[in-house]
Order: sequence, then structure tokens, then C-alpha cells
Amino acid sequence: MKNRFKTYRKRILIFLAIMGPGIITANVDNDAGGIATYSVCGAHFGYSLLWSFIPIIFALIIIQEMCSRMAVVTGKGLADLIREEFGVRITFYSMIILILANIGNTMANFAGIAASAQLFGISKSLLVILSAVFVWFLVLKGTYKSVEKVFLVACLFYVTYIISGFIVKPDWNEVVANVVKPKIEFSRPYVFMLIGLIGTTIAPWMQFYQQASVVEKDIKIKDYAYNRLDVIIGSFVVNIVAIFIVVVCAATLFKSGIRIETASDAAIALRPLAGNYCYLLFAAGLFNASLFAASILPLSTAYTVCEGMGWELGVNKKFREAPQFYWLYSVIIIIGAAFILIPNINFVKIMLVTQVANGILLPFVLILMLLLVNKKRLMGEYANSAFYNVISWFVVVAMILLTIILLFSYF
Amino acid sequence: MFIYFSHLVNIEVLDKDDKLVGRLYDIIVGQAEIYPKAISLIVYQGIFKRRYAIIPWGLVIEKLDNAIRINLSLDEIKFSLLENNRDKLALKRDILDQQVVDTYNHNVIRVNDAHLLIVDKDLMLAHVDIGARGFIRRLSFEKIVDLIVRIFNKNSAYLTKEKLISWKNIQPLSINPVSKTLKINVSQRQINDIHPVDLSEIMLDLDRKHRLALFREFNTATKSAIFSILDFPQQKSFLDELSDKESVEIISNMPSDEAADLLDELPRDHVNKILTALETPKAKKLSTLLGYKSESAGGLMTTEFFALLQQMTIGDALELVKLDISKPETMQYMYIVDDKAHLLGFTNLRKLISLDPKENILKAKFRKNLYIYPEDGVKEVAVLMDKYKVNVLPVVNEEKILQGIITIDDILDHLINIAWRKRSKKTAAI
Repeated sequence: MKNRFKTYRKRILIFLAIMGPGIITANVDNDAGGIATYSVCGAHFGYSLLWSFIPIIFALIIIQEMCSRMAVVTGKGLADLIREEFGVRITFYSMIILILANIGNTMANFAGIAASAQLFGISKSLLVILSAVFVWFLVLKGTYKSVEKVFLVACLFYVTYIISGFIVKPDWNEVVANVVKPKIEFSRPYVFMLIGLIGTTIAPWMQFYQQASVVEKDIKIKDYAYNRLDVIIGSFVVNIVAIFIVVVCAATLFKSGIRIETASDAAIALRPLAGNYCYLLFAAGLFNASLFAASILPLSTAYTVCEGMGWELGVNKKFREAPQFYWLYSVIIIIGAAFILIPNINFVKIMLVTQVANGILLPFVLILMLLLVNKKRLMGEYANSAFYNVISWFVVVAMILLTIILLFSYF
Repeated sequence: MFIYFSHLVNIEVLDKDDKLVGRLYDIIVGQAEIYPKAISLIVYQGIFKRRYAIIPWGLVIEKLDNAIRINLSLDEIKFSLLENNRDKLALKRDILDQQVVDTYNHNVIRVNDAHLLIVDKDLMLAHVDIGARGFIRRLSFEKIVDLIVRIFNKNSAYLTKEKLISWKNIQPLSINPVSKTLKINVSQRQINDIHPVDLSEIMLDLDRKHRLALFREFNTATKSAIFSILDFPQQKSFLDELSDKESVEIISNMPSDEAADLLDELPRDHVNKILTALETPKAKKLSTLLGYKSESAGGLMTTEFFALLQQMTIGDALELVKLDISKPETMQYMYIVDDKAHLLGFTNLRKLISLDPKENILKAKFRKNLYIYPEDGVKEVAVLMDKYKVNVLPVVNEEKILQGIITIDDILDHLINIAWRKRSKKTAAI
């Protein structure tokens, strides 16, 4: 009995040591783009898109698990593998896709910062510029790791949606019915929303980020089961939060017919919980999520791209030693922040459209990943099983089809 | 004539009657020469279902502008679905886009292109290209980008300075899938001459598999030296992958203070396993060291020192120095002891050389007998070293029996840590 307790304790300790990559990736995933997309989804479509979360959770686990597995087996980042297995051309174009997607995501997060500034009632330009400088120095000074914990704790903000979910007393029967029973439409806004939902939850940067974090943690094959658990927990956390955001917005905004045009509309969803403080609460949560993701995205993009291109990289290198790394990092922040300073720009729209772009770009990354994870030479006995392949190819095909439908709806 | 590999890839291969055999896929080169010669070509046919054939380089007649002609006829060539020869070194598979070690600049680089030299009928691998132009060449944008750059600056470094690195300074890291060793043995290559400190940094830039494969290529002394430099998490990561026999071999060759530091961090059962496998004297030394706190003199000392018996003459002592059998960590000072290993004093080489070899060793002893106890802390050691301007201090137990020595570099790490803690406290207070 005592022995059994000991092994349990040992297992928990190992898990705590290995935990991190999956859960952190998931929390960064709930960034400004995520909050905006889920809020709009709930406010404009009610419960009608809830069904999509079941396949999304499933797909997210499978995709992130593949990245972790590749990291553990090969000890290499995704960009490294793409470069070594597919050569310069494919690397170059996939890096361009990643840069574009992540400039978009960074923009969305600076939009989140600007939106929260409006809610706080302070100058949005000031807060955006200050945040950009803060993010830039965070990496330069190498203090990111110590700030990460603050961000993670602040992510408890999402709990407010879960609490609100119980306060607003939605019709749970209706919610459950919508979760389990797909209701598919082919109208343009519906498909647009669906791609955005998938794109924000399974964003292309996540695969690169997840794989890099697992490589950095130097997790070994023998501990892989714990790492997989980390991925599964992370995927569930992000989706449960997402479902609650949708439910809360559906039960409050959709019911009263409020369409989300600005962040303050989205904040009203928290009124049943926080009363008139809902604006402040929402602003604080949005600000934290945006700043967290804005700190990670430019850095992880610069790492990944330099890795794939074979450039010197790392924050412990001087500017002269790794110029491309620092340029990329700075340019992504500058473009992301500068775009938001354009007057009269609709922040919610930016947050939404960039997530749809994520969804459109996702299949390209997935195809490369699937080709890699099926290479016996790289993965040996850990190559994909047929079951995995069927599901992942299904996601790829579905995303491409949805994108085609969306494109045709414009003609 | 020099040519880039990327300009050869995909060019047509014609048989002796000018019929198309296929296109060039890869070139296999030798593994022994300083500048490897091409041994054979791999040619492919088909688009969706590719088939490959291997053609010995000896059968190449000539390289035309955009084709290679070989001395075979098409129906003599057998194609197969698999490209074999995984144990050979192939340019596209093993060099291009892969990470290699630049043994001249001591860093890990990624290869953008290979620069080949054609002399008579031989094709040799001369350089690897790691520059931006090599990358753009592979993208097939070379002409356009060259043109654009030329418009702005005719003498730009992009056009004039290619980033080529001579193959003799390159250590490829591709692994033979059968033997799991590097395809090019390090023993005859420059990487073998790199200082272990630089090697350990190179190792950190590599992924786990290549790190291990490269590490395994070195002899035990180098392995132990590299190992001593790594931090504990990295050492642990290595130990997880190495066999027990390899770990024991490495640890037994490490200076005992470093080995004890490592064992100190490992779980109890792992330590016991290693200690039982080690030779008895080494194991004994290590278990004594492990008994001390890691920040005390006992925990920091090494048990490899140079001791002289009081009965010796100075001549005997000098003979011993020349023999250098005990391989101490430092020879700066020698310690004079009696039969029971009680410390009597210390001396140095300058003293030994300057005196008459026939004299007794005690004549060479310094007047002051400096020593510390195993329980003393880093600060006491530092104070004593500073006061008497010595870099090494002997450690004795209560009966004055010599236990080991402690050198300034052993305590430096700890002093730096203490200094940093103070500094960060100060900055935190501000």
C-alpha cells in the first residue's frame, strides 16, 4: 500500500516536472484573437456553432500530440525538420506563411491591447507603444521566463467566464443539444466564423511553439506518456474556456440581440458577474492575454524562422552575431503595433480576420507535419498510426474545403 | 573548374547514344579523403513513382553545359524503387540543409549549397556554402536577386564575398543508420583538435541524437573533459542516453572533485550503481568526497595531488615530477608528508630546482604550513588564498592527515554565485 502511494507520488512529481509545454501553449492560444472570436461566435451565432468544439478538441489533441512526439523522438524543432527533409524551397515558403500568420496574430494582440486601453479609458496609442517597448525589452533583457509565471497566474481571468457561465443560467439542455448535434450551414458568415474558430484554436504557430518547447525541455521517450497528458490537459483547458465564452456570450449578448462591434460590447457578457465592473474586468483579462501572446509570438517566430533558415539565433547572442534574429523579432513587433495605431481601425474586426487567416494557413503546416511524422526513417516505431492519419487528413481536407467554400461565397 | 551542387541537381543524364537516362538526384562521395571524390551518381526517373539508379562516377564521359553523358546505354541500367547506400556519404542527403560543425570557427552551421571542383575527370567536394547567396541559389532566384543587388551596389559583399568554408574545416554529422556512428570518423579531422570547452559549447547547439553520436566519437579522455565542463542538467541528459559502461568509464576519468559534484546531484540508487562499477580506489575517494557538504572545502577538494615523503631528497622529488605518474590536478605546489600522511609543509618547483638535489626535501619546505579543514566554507578558503597569495590549499583532517587539495578554480564558481546573489539583492533593493 505504502509502495503504491510512493509510485503515485513519484509519477505526479515526474508529471509536474514535464508539464508545461502543452499547458502554456494552450494558454497562449486563448489570446486576444481567441477571446474576440469566441465572443463574436457566441454573440452572433448563439449556441449554433458549439458542436464544432468536439471535433476541434479532438483535432487539437491529435495535432499537438504529433508535434510533441516528433520533438521527443527526433529532438529537433519543426522548422529544423522541414529544412532537413524538404530542403530550402519548402522551408522558405512555409516560413513566409508562418511570418505572415504571426504578424497577423501579433497585430490581433496589439489590437487587444488597444481595445483594453479604450475600456480602461486611457490613450490606446500610449498603451500600445508602451506594451511594444515592454515586449521588446522583455526578450532583450532575457527576463521573459520570470514574467511567464505572472502571465500564467493572470490567466485565471478565464475562470470568470466559467463562473459567469453558471450565473447566467443558460438553458443547459439546449447547450448540450447543440454540442452533440452538428448543425451545418453553408452561408458565408457561418463558414467564415467556423474557419475562424478552428484557426484560432488550432493556430499554425502552436505546432512550432509546442515542438520547440518540448525540445527545449529535453523530454525523453520514457517520459513521453506524461508529456502526452500535458497536451491533453492543455487542449481541454483551452476548449472548455472557449465553450464557456461562447455560452456566456450566447446567453447574454445573443439573447438581447447585441452584436459585437467593439470590445465594450463583448465586455457586457460579464455584467451578470461583475455588474458595472465588467468593463474593467474584461479589459484586464484581455490586456493580460494580449500581452502574454504578444510576448511569445514574435520571439517564437524569430526562433523558428532562424532555425529553418540556418541563421544564428538566441537571446544570448549579440545583435552583431544574430542580426536576422533581432531584425525579425523587432520588425514583427513594430508592424504588429504600428498597424494598430492607424486611426479609426476596428479592433474586433482585426482580431477576427487574423484568426480566419490562421485557419486558411493551417492546412499547409499540417500537410508538412503529416509528411514528417509518417517518415519511418525519422520516427521509427513512433511514426503515425493509420487512425491518426485518417483524422489528421480529414482535418486538412475539411479546412481546405471550408476555405474554398468561403472563397466561392465572395463571387 | 568550380561548380555548385545546386546547379548540377536535376540536370539531364544522357547515355552514350544521347538518350535520356533520367535526371541527377544525388552524388555519393568518398569518406576518407580530405576533399572527398565523387564515387557515383544517383539518377532518378519518373515523377510520382520515382525510381533510382546508381551509376559509378568512372562511367561519366563528360559534363556538358546542362547535361552529363555517361558511357552506358539506357537498357544496361537497372532502376529500383529504393535509393540504397544509406551508409555512404551523399551530398543531398547528408550535407545539404543539414547541420555541420565548422571546426575553424567552432560553431554549428547549416549548409545551403556545396561547392564542387572538377579536375580532369574527378569531381571533388571543396567547400560548403553557408551564405545568403547559396540560399537564394537554391530557391532559383539567384539571377534576379543578383541583378537587383547589382543595380544598387555593384561591389556589395553579397556579390563579391561568398560565404564558403573549406571542407577540411567541416565535420559532417550524418549518422550511419546501421552502426549509429558518424559517417565521417572524427579521429583524423580537425574537430579532434578543438578544446573541450569549445566542444562542449558546440554540443549544446546540436540536437540530442547528433550530440550523442558526435560525443561517442571522441576518446575517453576528451569525453571526460567535455563532460566535466557541462552543467548538471546536461550531464544528466547525457547519462540517460549512455550505457552504464560508458558512464562509468567517463566518470572514472573525471577529476574526483568534478565527479563527486556530479554524483552529489544524482539519485541515490544511481550513485550506488556507479560506485560499485568503479575501480575500488576511485570509488573510495568519491564516497569520502560525497560525505562532505558540496559548499565546504571537503566537497570542493580533489583527491589528486602531488605528495612527497619527508625521507626523500630533492633529486628524488624532481625524478618523481618528471615521471608524473599520479596525474594530479595541479603541479603548482607539492605537499610534504610523513609515513602516516601527516602534512608537514609544502614546496614548489622553483624551490626544488634552485636547491642542491642531494639535500633532504625538508630543506625546500616553505616556512609557513598552510592548510584548511574539510568543514571550512568557501569564504574561509578564499580569505586564506587571498592572504597568502596562493592558488592551491591542502585540506587536512583533525589529525592533520592530508585529504586533498582545493584549487582556486574550484571555489571560483561558488564565489561568483555569492557575488551575484549580493548584486541582485542590491538591485532588487533599488
